[in-house]
Amino acid sequence: MPRLNKRSSYYVLLLPALLIYLAIIIFPIFMSLGLSFTEWRRFRMTGFIGLGNYMDILSDPVFHRSLWNNIQIMLISVLGQIPLGILLAYLLHRKWVKGTKFFEFMIFLPITISSVVIALLWNRVFSPVGIYTTFVRMITSNPDYVVRIFESEKFAMLPVLVVLLWQHTSLYMVIFLANLQRIPSSVFEAAVIDGAKETTIITKIVLPALSPVIFTCSVLAISGSLKSFDLVYAMTAGGPVNYTYVMALYLYQHTFTFHNYGKGSAVSIIIVILSVGLISLVRGIYAKAQKKFE
Amino acid sequence: MKKVALFALVLVLSMSFVTAAGTKEAAKDGKVVLTAYMQIDPANDQYAGHNAVMAAFAEKYPNIQLDIEYASGEAFHQKFQSMAASKKIPDLFTCYGGARTAYVTETGLTLDLTPYLDDAFKGQFASATWLPQGSAGALYMVPPSFAVCHSIYANTAILDKLGLSYPETFEQLVAQIPTIRAAGYYPMSMGNKDPWVVNSWLLGTFIERFGGREWILKAAKGEASFTDAPFVKALEVIQAMSKEGLFSPGVNQMSNTEADQEFYQQKSVYLIDAAWRTSAMDSQLPEAQRKAIDMRVFPALPGEKYHNTSSAVASEGFGIAKAVEKDQAKLDAALAFVKFYAGEEGASIRAQFGEVPSYNLDLNKFAVDVMQGKFVEFSATYPMGYVFDSIMDGEGVNLLNTDLQAMMMGNGNPKDIAAKYEAWVAKNDSNRD
Repeated sequence: MPRLNKRSSYYVLLLPALLIYLAIIIFPIFMSLGLSFTEWRRFRMTGFIGLGNYMDILSDPVFHRSLWNNIQIMLISVLGQIPLGILLAYLLHRKWVKGTKFFEFMIFLPITISSVVIALLWNRVFSPVGIYTTFVRMITSNPDYVVRIFESEKFAMLPVLVVLLWQHTSLYMVIFLANLQRIPSSVFEAAVIDGAKETTIITKIVLPALSPVIFTCSVLAISGSLKSFDLVYAMTAGGPVNYTYVMALYLYQHTFTFHNYGKGSAVSIIIVILSVGLISLVRGIYAKAQKKFE
Repeated sequence: MKKVALFALVLVLSMSFVTAAGTKEAAKDGKVVLTAYMQIDPANDQYAGHNAVMAAFAEKYPNIQLDIEYASGEAFHQKFQSMAASKKIPDLFTCYGGARTAYVTETGLTLDLTPYLDDAFKGQFASATWLPQGSAGALYMVPPSFAVCHSIYANTAILDKLGLSYPETFEQLVAQIPTIRAAGYYPMSMGNKDPWVVNSWLLGTFIERFGGREWILKAAKGEASFTDAPFVKALEVIQAMSKEGLFSPGVNQMSNTEADQEFYQQKSVYLIDAAWRTSAMDSQLPEAQRKAIDMRVFPALPGEKYHNTSSAVASEGFGIAKAVEKDQAKLDAALAFVKFYAGEEGASIRAQFGEVPSYNLDLNKFAVDVMQGKFVEFSATYPMGYVFDSIMDGEGVNLLNTDLQAMMMGNGNPKDIAAKYEAWVAKNDSNRD
């Protein structure tokens, strides 16, 4: 029996994983791409409409709002959760607060709770018959009081963003804390002896050391933000009106409620394009930052 | 040693396969096995009647075995859509007369029951039971009852305390607001956080009051326009209700369950809800409170042509997979189940639990709970019109509901909403194909 050379044996060993990857990742993406050019009516594909679905979506004000809401989620993730995660991790790592183990536990807690549970709890507290609303009505003697921010076209997303910030910062904090612990303590001690200020320690030691992790977390944050669904669905279902709609909800509704698989596929392709584009952008920024630190 | 271990493992696995196969055969032995997928929560009080019917069916037909999978709410549809997409659906399943399960009825997967239901059987049901279902006019299921989607529950204890009575007209209702608010109550509870509520429970009835049943069908088909007076006037009433402060504060943030709780806690005088809420009231409220709740329809609207109407739609029943037709034994068993459930035996059992069946029964002979009794009386008293969102396509209705919610929050006006909806329907709705 002829023996395979080393290179060929690598390919043979890779083949099963490659086939699975092609079947469950690449094939659905191309299938989705194909479907995105089709028209559906009454649960049946009625023909090829080229870029019709894309034109429809890109001219739909509901999609514009969904996209903007996703951008807000992305901004709060990248510019809120990650910096706050670094800050909390640094505070705990330098032991500037007493009871660090307690705070580690408390800060990490939200990420262990299901998004649906968090959404239901939030609704229980702030709904028109919730604890907070009832309490405010009682102390202000105003029986008409409700939290109006939920009905505001401009600010209805704010409560969702606050919950997302609270829930996900803890995950980043744990990641950064683990990586900070890999920096030898002698480095910090030497910097302090040399008279370095905290800002210098952070910008010259901590951030360069964490930069690969920051990049990874940014990729996670961007991809996670663009596919946000569970918390928003359970908390507001996109309402009131469509003030808190996000792209994944838009996709879900067109695909599974209206059975327009062509339009739903087109939305998914747009999400993929946005994700890849934004992650490439972050990769570019990271490469530049790395050069600067070098 | 390794070979012995391997042999033993293979032997054990082979035996387990043989045993498993034997178990399956034993289940089929002498029985017809039907797979079923039902949008029902058997643990919920609301389905006590259903559970009793299933037990009675199992007793009468020991040769028919139903392998049932239950799911409720949206989860039912999500899984069923996947089954439909792969064209592998169970033998029996929950099926709607309208568009809700069109993914199995409009795709050729569901058996048309028309040839299997003779006139003698059909003649025992209310005539509305046999309205065509689906675009081709087929009958995919036998509606076991009717879902009454509009009812006003009035707390007469509070009304008496305030020296008020149930208003005859919309103007009288509005005139009650200052008295009700001064006494520390909210006038009307309704949970419109999910914006279909105002459509299902008010809009259809209002359109019916202004235009009548025929007008809705004409508008759906394009022989009338949604910019016409009946539709615009119906929207204007909802706008007026919001402006006058009839709804509880935060009506568009409040879920349906929360609105119910507000009414149950006697913080509001009226509740807008579907008539099937009676079963929850019977299980949750003390008898004295239930006795003080009246079930009415919305008071007369200014300029209405039709009076005291509610709205109802044939409730979901059980469809049979088209593929079952090829197996006579299975087909007979499935038809036996459908006829048992909706027919006299099933209807009598369900009536004992307060359901008003589509099958003609003398309901006076059934002793039912307080609120269920009121529901029976309500169904017999008020004429029923169409439920708007069961006629029109879901995507357009969703667009309309969103605009209605915005209007209730002060953004948008009835004429613009009507024009926008008409434009959508003219371009996209399947009723205009």
